Amino acid sequence: MKEIRLAIKIVKTLIKDRMQYPDRLFVDTTGVIARCGVLLILYGYVYKLNNGTIGGTTFLFAAWSIFFYFSFSVLRLRDISREIMKDVQTGNVEVLFGKPISYLSYRMWWQFGSSLYSFVIITILAVIALIFIIGLPPTMTVGIFIPTLILTFICGTVLSLFLYAIVGLLAFWIEDINPVFWIVDKAVMILGGSYLPVALFPTSMYKIALYSPFGAAKFITHTVYDTWQTNWYQLIGLQLFWIILLGMIIYFMFAQAKQKVSVNGG
Amino acid sequence: MNSNSIVVTNLTKKFSFSAKSSSSSWLKNLFSPETKEIIAVNDISFSVKRGERVAFIGPNGAGKSTTIKMLTGILFPTSGKVDILGFDPTKDRKKLAYQIGTVFGQRSQLLPNLPLTDSLEFFGVMYDLPEKEIKKRIAELVELFDLGTFIAQPVRKLSLGQRMRAEVAVSFIHKPKIILLDEPTIGLDVVAKKALRDLLLKINKEEKTTIFLTSHDVGDIESLCDRTIVINRGAVIRDLPTHDLAKTFVYEKYIDLVAQNSFSVFPDLPEGLRYSIKDKNKITVVVDVNKISVQESLKKLLDLFEVEDVDVYNVGLETVIRHIYERD
Repeated sequence: MKEIRLAIKIVKTLIKDRMQYPDRLFVDTTGVIARCGVLLILYGYVYKLNNGTIGGTTFLFAAWSIFFYFSFSVLRLRDISREIMKDVQTGNVEVLFGKPISYLSYRMWWQFGSSLYSFVIITILAVIALIFIIGLPPTMTVGIFIPTLILTFICGTVLSLFLYAIVGLLAFWIEDINPVFWIVDKAVMILGGSYLPVALFPTSMYKIALYSPFGAAKFITHTVYDTWQTNWYQLIGLQLFWIILLGMIIYFMFAQAKQKVSVNGG
Repeated sequence: MNSNSIVVTNLTKKFSFSAKSSSSSWLKNLFSPETKEIIAVNDISFSVKRGERVAFIGPNGAGKSTTIKMLTGILFPTSGKVDILGFDPTKDRKKLAYQIGTVFGQRSQLLPNLPLTDSLEFFGVMYDLPEKEIKKRIAELVELFDLGTFIAQPVRKLSLGQRMRAEVAVSFIHKPKIILLDEPTIGLDVVAKKALRDLLLKINKEEKTTIFLTSHDVGDIESLCDRTIVINRGAVIRDLPTHDLAKTFVYEKYIDLVAQNSFSVFPDLPEGLRYSIKDKNKITVVVDVNKISVQESLKKLLDLFEVEDVDVYNVGLETVIRHIYERD
């Protein structure tokens, strides 16, 4: 109960904090429009050149899949790696270790809350805009879509936080995690479908996207395709598998990391 | 009932690190580097009574912060035992956190973009206080720390003095039984330092909070702490009441001589006396009382110089502490 109360307080406090800075929301929105918008224009053109279909998929599906990727990215969950590294490098970890909290769960809620406000606003605005501009694919109007979307969103959020927290925890051993972060982040970007929608992946790469935690973190991009209605439980099952496995890795890593704390001035 | 808040027994902390050897190959340095060890805290023992105000001092790298971090459960000791209010910090870090407050002068725990009230409420929830209790405690702290004038301002817009007051206030949100302060007055001006020291004294008196403080500022030690523990190279070298600190090491007295006209020659001084300042208007002589008495020194100096005024005084606490560090 105490943990839930604290989590709600963290999220509420951060939303209040972010509301003080409308310029940050403007920057986030512009960033998403620029990155996602350019890709959508390019894909729209490519689909047109191929008579509207590539690999059995139309632009409508690809566009929503790409949008889901970028919308999810607004949460900036990957930044938890750098926040943990910063805590270790600056010694701020000692302030948080001195509090009656679980450091990692505090950091995860903090990360989730820090961009939630931008995520909600941008997603709502972008969904309305996309419905008006390109419309909704039929797969998004079936009854199972919304509940499974929420489920895979939650699992994706937890999985992303776990994945990037593991990278962040490496800072207790190697201090500068940037090279590892770069590899993991690029793997998530590519296998998550940021550049190329997952439906257009070659079979081998699709399998890697399906069975690796990098791709599983972004299964939200799969929800718009026909296949989702038949294999959603398998994909969510895979997410749960990775959550359990990475959760155990985090548990053991953190137990070791606590013993490795060595901050400035002690 | 145990009257000790803190009991430290044979506490040791060693840090190991890999060191590249210039004589070894890069392959050996990569896979089997030499391991070096630093003993940051070496077998120290002490106890602190409930409500006591203790200064834990030492030069840079002496092991002060390492000790504080072991007391709070942030660092794990290599050997030895820490007992704080009956808790073992290595096993009961979270439970212990409800009973202690920490202030790290060089690190902030406040929410920079929001008004101070938000930080106070935030930490109230973190320490699991009921909403009613949080409001009541905030009102108490606002009065106690005189936060009313700036509580609605974003923390980043506060002056350093205001911010430190706020940092300490936040650390008291859960009424800790012990407060551990690591350089709380660092960077503050004299007025802000005094205000913060007065506040800590007031809290110690009103809430019976044990104060355990590390500082390089002699003013903090003199005005706040009734006991001083000196640590150097990881070992406790002195543990005594603060007012005895200066007395114990008074083997030196200082004599200021103010010139009647001006001093032009500075003759050699008898054994036990040495110049500290040679100026045409003022001379300061250091007397080693083990070798020559103050009375004898005055006689000899007045024979040597024509003076308008004489002042005899003890060394300041800062000098005493410097002597302790240097002698060790």
